[in-house]
This record gives sequence, structure tokens and C-alpha cells, in this order.
Amino acid sequence: MPIRNFSIIAHIDHGKSTLADRLLQLTRAVSDRESREQLLDTMDLERERGITIKASAVTVHHVYRGDDYQLNFIDTPGHVDFAYEVSRALTACEGALLVVDATQGVEAQTVANAYLAVENNLELIPVINKIDLPSARPEEVAGEIEQVLGLPAEECMYCSAKTGQGVGELLDEICRKLPPPRPPQTDETRALIFDSRYDDYRGVIVYVRVFDGSLAVGDRIRMMGTGRQYTISELGRYTPAPERLQKLGQAEVGYFVASIRALPDVRVGDTVTGASNPAHEPLPGYREPKQIVFSDFYPASTSDVTGKRGGYDSLRNAIEKLRLNDASFSFDPIHSDALGFGFRCGFLGLLHMEIIQQRLEREGGVQIVQTAPTVSYEIQLTDGTVREIHNPADLPDPALIQAIREPLVMLELICPTEAIGDLMKLCDGRRGVYKTQKFISASRRILEYELPLAEIIYDFHDKLKSITRGYGTMDYEIRGFRPDRLVKVDILVNGVPVEALSLICHRDNAVKRSRTIIKKLKQQIDRHQFEIPLQAAIGSKIICRETIKALRKNVTAKCYGGDVTRKRKLLEKQKAGKKRMKMVGSVNIPQEAFMAVLEMGK
Amino acid sequence: MGRGPRGVYVHVPFCLHKCHYCDFYSIAGDGDGGRRDRRGVFVQRLIEEIRASSAFLGPPIETTFFGGGTPTLLPSGLWKILLAALSDHQPRAADHELTVEANPETVDEPLMEALVAGGVNRLSIGAQSFDPRHLKTLERRHDPARVVRSVQIARRGGIANINIDLIFGIPGQTLEQWLEDLQEVLALEPTHLSCYALSYESNTPLTAKLRAGRIKRIDQDLEARMYEVVIDRLAAAGFEHYEISSWARPGRRCRHNLRYWRNDQWWPLGPAAAGHVAGVRWKNVPHLGRYLREGPLPAITDVERLDEDGRIGEELMLRLRLIEGIECGLLQRLLAAGVRGRERGVAIMRHTDAGNLERSSDRLRLTRRGLLVADSVLADLL
Repeated sequence: MPIRNFSIIAHIDHGKSTLADRLLQLTRAVSDRESREQLLDTMDLERERGITIKASAVTVHHVYRGDDYQLNFIDTPGHVDFAYEVSRALTACEGALLVVDATQGVEAQTVANAYLAVENNLELIPVINKIDLPSARPEEVAGEIEQVLGLPAEECMYCSAKTGQGVGELLDEICRKLPPPRPPQTDETRALIFDSRYDDYRGVIVYVRVFDGSLAVGDRIRMMGTGRQYTISELGRYTPAPERLQKLGQAEVGYFVASIRALPDVRVGDTVTGASNPAHEPLPGYREPKQIVFSDFYPASTSDVTGKRGGYDSLRNAIEKLRLNDASFSFDPIHSDALGFGFRCGFLGLLHMEIIQQRLEREGGVQIVQTAPTVSYEIQLTDGTVREIHNPADLPDPALIQAIREPLVMLELICPTEAIGDLMKLCDGRRGVYKTQKFISASRRILEYELPLAEIIYDFHDKLKSITRGYGTMDYEIRGFRPDRLVKVDILVNGVPVEALSLICHRDNAVKRSRTIIKKLKQQIDRHQFEIPLQAAIGSKIICRETIKALRKNVTAKCYGGDVTRKRKLLEKQKAGKKRMKMVGSVNIPQEAFMAVLEMGK
Repeated sequence: MGRGPRGVYVHVPFCLHKCHYCDFYSIAGDGDGGRRDRRGVFVQRLIEEIRASSAFLGPPIETTFFGGGTPTLLPSGLWKILLAALSDHQPRAADHELTVEANPETVDEPLMEALVAGGVNRLSIGAQSFDPRHLKTLERRHDPARVVRSVQIARRGGIANINIDLIFGIPGQTLEQWLEDLQEVLALEPTHLSCYALSYESNTPLTAKLRAGRIKRIDQDLEARMYEVVIDRLAAAGFEHYEISSWARPGRRCRHNLRYWRNDQWWPLGPAAAGHVAGVRWKNVPHLGRYLREGPLPAITDVERLDEDGRIGEELMLRLRLIEGIECGLLQRLLAAGVRGRERGVAIMRHTDAGNLERSSDRLRLTRRGLLVADSVLADLL
């Protein structure tokens, strides 16, 4: 039976999931009655956000010119934060449908995903979706695809996943245009792990694409990367209902279960081989996922909603549980003088961070206080060693530092032509280096900049949206680490450094950044009986200063017979409030002050 | 001589209109002579309460204070009946102090005659400001000239002991304007002055405006200056500063108010009036309708009996409001008795070192610097 392995790649909301559903429905994998919106996305959050976070695979059948084709549809995460997972999923395919919205046109992630597919030698079928909409401009969008991606406009398929128009032709095109799987290259079994997920009853479910040989129930297998060995207890595929099999053959796609207890024991990209007859070489391309964006998560209160446990314990349980389902984020317990016990978490990117935070709150039932994200830094020491740090507090003595390197990204912006000037100004102001500008259509351009990741993790996306009135899209790719004039800025309250507030930033931005912080602090710290200097310092050099004046007047004017109880309670409250504050030197800093400076979105 | 309280506070809950900074219990519109006028039934009911409570009081009664609301909204006829009943049921000491709070616009000759005939010997006039702009901010509806006239009427009617209330720190007010207010008030030659920094009480229209950003609180440093100038100006004019916000000519301190700050006892009459007897604080239910329906003694609320340590904290909080401070023998006794005595002793030392408290030969008191930050000091002694 001929086999076609393919993915669908698209920008967010361009209709990938709807198209997937329609394909399944037309191949009668799902009856009309069973068909529900966006079948492949299993998580609430995915459906809500319209993003597929974790890949899965479905096998269907389609008859083309009298032949029964096995179509293995491998779903991919829709965002470049998961570029590595996307690339693994793509490696498992021979072709991909590149879906573009007929009203929106080519967007940043369309381009990024298309490039990823091309890098993986995939055959692309450009699909222009949503042609039923009145504002659809399919020919123009076909022109954009040709202009930007070099795929001939006449090869575009037109369809509406919503109405089903053109989807039958698309199935034929998949069988006709996409190449068959390559023949086996070795006698030994090699299967690529492109995804995994955790099941409470069966442990880890591993998704594989067999490249060479086969896998069968009862096989003793070995993961080539980790060296761990297991016995396959269950094997199957999704159609999309799970269908158990005895054997998964050459070029086939499916899942296996092998009493694997924890998700971190399975690495996406690793190669599965036979334990007794192992392959000599693993399949190429495995990489450790690298966390690049960091943020601290603290419980919002010391007790959770049920009030049964401490907030920290609830948060830890929620994180550990989520970690079973997503091995790509890291977490380490930390303690901050300001915010108490929490976790420093590492993520693949900004969206990944947001998803993890939302899943923890939704699935774990915990409320989280999240600090503004930072990036990881590479510290080149004078003794030649390199150390990676995620927290300004971990910076070694400045005398030992030869250079501080920060992650650099290649940023791609797709925007209306008239926004180019303002966007260039934005990027230039963020230490960006202009690379190139590409024409998409008369009204749209691609703008490429190289700039530090630290410059885009905070409010860059909001700025982009506001400059382009919502039409601009962005994507980025990490390009390694680069040294710059980065400095550690200490924030001193009454001469005492407050570790929780220190930051790493570029020397040229240090004054501006620290002034913002100090101004916020000034608003939040009450006057004391003495004057309080607030300073920012690089080493011993003070770069900016504000002063909180001494308390001049704090006296209740009236206290007559009927006021006594109320005034006493007011004073007691004042006193209790002071006790809850953090003492730095002799200054009481309220938790709100730390929040104002550290928290996201403030 | 009885062991009951010798002070009485009477709350008269009527106002012509609610001033925007005021959070005292009062009803606007029920005392305006209209159809819903309940002043007559109120006085009738009050007399019933006076009768029913007389057994608990004094004897004798040394101080009585009518506050509000606007007590002077009661017409002179009702005052005659009320004061007569009070005198019948509450035997008075020879030097009985009887104060009535008055709004300038309500003071006239017949009223004064009724008050003086009934034994009133002290009038407290709510002037607040002499500047029409600032009166507007406070939503006080009187013409500054009425303050002058009311003082004249009171004095001619036979009341020599007159207090005037002033407010400083009103949004928009300057130091110069405040000095002018002081100048004007001194020209009236009152025997007593109460000068309050404007406070933003919760649930007042003024506080709502502040939150909405429609008015701006004056700068803390300016407010401190205003307080300092009133201290200096009144001292120069021969007034004794005897409590945080109170000044008096020699011998004219308000003996009723001193009761509050010396943690003494007094009995409450009327809706929303608060009392303190035998270590218990309570309040009559602040609802005129219920007050009129129920009786003879009104329903009470907010009953509080603190433990010994709590009472000690409260006594320190109150007594240190007095400029004379607290007598060292008493202080030693208070510190020795409470469970937090040691903690309080340490706080006293700390604030003494910081220059907020000072110990003279036999008393501990707030310094001038301490007066300005009294809440920070007192909170540590609770």
C-alpha cells in the first residue's frame, strides 16, 4: 500500500485545525456526527488559543486513481518557540501543506515554517484557505507566496476548510505530488521519536516514524540517545480513534507504550532501535531543547484557593505534574527575600512561557505571580571558562568577568509597507542591526533585523501591533550568543543593595531602565522618619538617584469619644502592615513595591 | 458622690445638608420644618432616654456635650424643654460645663436665650475657613461673615466661653491663606480653638473626589508647615496648646474633651452616640428610625471590652495626644502591667532617641517633632 507522510504548517488562525478536521471527515475517518471542531487538538488551551501545542499523528485512507493510499498526517506545534519540535515532526514527513489565509496573506510564521520545511527537504503544497470569505483575495495571496517563497503561483491549491470546497482535490494532490517514503537504508530498525505525551495509566506514549525495519509488540528496544532499554507492551496508531497493531512497518507512523514512567526519559528527536540488533548510527538531527527565556513563578498567596496547602506546595505539585506532559521547560526552586519561595522556570520562548503559566493556573489551579522575563547569559571568565547564568544575582565578581554574552535572534517582521519607517526606528532603538527588506506585494514587506533577544521579550510584540495597527506579525530564530557592553545594575535602597531588583542590561540603557525602576519604587515605599536615597549603581558608580523625603506629618487630627476604637484599629493596621514588609537596612519595603518592579505587565 | 460617669455626650443627628468631609451620623432633611420633620419626636424620645439612664450617671454631672449633626437645628422651644428635662434628671456639679456645637448659619438671639437659660455655658462654632473658595471645597454652606455674627450673638447672649473650629490643608489652600484664616479667627477673640488638618474619612464625597482625581491632596510638607505655623501663631497670641488639635486660653480647656484623652468615663445619649463606662466602649445604633421606635434605652452596637493589655495601649494612645503627656508614675504602672510592657518600653526609648518623645522631670510627652508624626509613635505603643 502506498504511503504518504505529511504535515500541515500555517500561521496562527490560518485554519490549520479546521482543514485537518475536514480532511479526516472526507476520508471518512470521522463520521459527520462524530466530527467536532478541530479534532486533533486535545487540550482546552490549544482550542482556545487556536494553536496546536503538542503534535500528534493520525492515519487515514484515500483512494486515488484506484489505489488505496495510507495517509499519515503528523500534526505540528504552530509556533516557532517549538521550532525544534516542529522540525522533528517535519523530519518524519516527506511533504507538507503550507496553509495561507486568503484574506490575511503570507505572515511571519508562514515564512518561518516554510523555511523549516524546505530545510528538511520536504515537498510543499501551497494551500490558500478561506476562499469562501468575501474579503478573500486568493490570486493576490498566490502572488505573495510566489514572491516570498518562490513556489509558483499556479501550483497553489484553493480551498475552504469550512465549506469543504476544494478539499477533495487537495487529497488527490497529496497522493499525486508528495513523494513516497525513502527506501530502508539499513537492516537494523531505526524509528524517529517526534513526540511524546504522558498518560496517567500507561505512562509515556511515544510517537514514532519508522524509517528502517519495523517495531512489534514484545520487542526489546533501546533509545540510542539515552541508552535506556524497554519492552514494547502496546503498539498502534490513531485513525483518529486508537487502533492497536501487532507491528509498525517500514515508513509507517504510530505510537508505542513501554512502561516508561516519566516524560523526561524520552527525548524528542531520539532514535529507537532494537536492543539485540542495534543500528550503528542514530537518525540525524537530535538536539537538547534549550531554555532561553527565564521567569520566576511564585504562588500568588501563601495558601491556595482550597486553603488546604501552602501556595508553594500547590505550585510545586502543579509544576511537577505539568512537567510530566511537557519536558521542554525547566524549573529550579528559588527563594527571594521579596517574594518568598518559588521557582525559576526556563522556556523555549515567550509563547511557551505564556502557555506554561496558563496551564499551571488552569490545570493546576494555582495563582501565579510572575516576574518579567529575562534571558540566559553566557559569562566568559578571565580563566577561560564559560558559565551560563539566568539570574543577575548569580553574576560573579566583575573582576573575574571577561565578557557577558547574550542570545541574539534573527527577527523577521511582516508588515504593511507604510509601517516600515516606524518599525525600523523601533528596531534601531533596540540595538537592532538591519539585515534586509523583501517585497511581498505592493502593500506588504518583510523586514529582517538581527537583535538581542532581551530587546524583544518584554513589550516588543505590543509595540509591533500598535505600530502596524494589528497587521504586523513577527517571528524570530535564535542565532547564538554575542558579547556586548552588558552590565549588572544594582538597586540600592538607603545604601543597601536589594538583590531581588538587580538587573543585567546594556550600558547605554542602564540609566533609563534603572530610572524607571527607581521611580516605581519611589511611588511604592512610604516615607520614613528619615530621608531614603534610592540609587542605581554599576559597581561603585551611581548612575541615577531619587530621594524619598523624610516623613513630615503623620498625625490623626481628631480623636474624640466616638473615634477611639476606629483610630486604634487604624494604627494597629498601620503597625501590622509594617510587619509584613521586607526590611532592607532600616527601610520597610512593601511587597507591592517588588511586584511593581518585577511583575509582568506592570 | 456616685461612681457613675460624670460626662454626658448627646448626639443630635440632624443637618441641613451633609458637608463633604464629614462622616458623622446625621440626616439631612428631617430637621428642616418640612412634613417629615422629626425634631419634636426626637426630643421627646431623648427625654425618655435621659430619664431611663439617669440612675447610671454621676452624680453629679460635671460635663455635658451636645454634638452632631447640627444640634442648633433644634428650635429654641425644643431646647427649653430638653434642657429643663436634663437639669431635672441629671444633677449638675457647681462648675458644670455644658457645650453645644453650632453651625454659624443657625445661631440667632432666641436660640441663645434658650440655651443660656437652660445652663449652656460654652458654644463650639464650626467656622472651618474664612475663605469662600475653601468653604466651597468642603461644601460648607455659610458665608464667612456669619461666623463673625454668630460669635457676636453668642457673646451678647451671655456665652463667654467660645470655641471655633478651623480646618487646614484644604486642597488648593496656601500657607498665606491659612495665616489669614488664623488672623481672622484671632480677631474674634475666642477662648478656645480647634484646628484640624483635613482628613479624608472613608465613605465621604470628599474622599470619593480624591480617588476620582477631581481634587488633589495638598503636599505633606506644606501641611506640616501649616501645622507648625498654627502652633507658633497661637502660642504668640497667648493660647495654650494642650492637645494635638486643641488650644485654649488659660483655664478654658474643654473639660469634656479632656475626659476622652484621659480615658475617663462618659455616657452616650441619642442615636450614634458613643460611650465609655467601666472599661466598656459601645455605641447607640446609628439609626434615627430605630431610635424613635425602640426604648426607653436604645439598642447598642460595637460593644468592645479590651483586655488589660489592649486598654493600656489605648490609654497610652489617648494620653499622649495631650501636650502635657503622661505622668511618669502612671506610665511605670501601665508598662509594668501589660504583657507588651517591655516592647513598649523599648519603643519609648527608640522614639526618645529619635527625638519624638521627651521625658521632663515627671512626665513623658511628644516633642514638637513628635507631634507631627504622632501616629507613627503611637502605633508603636499600642
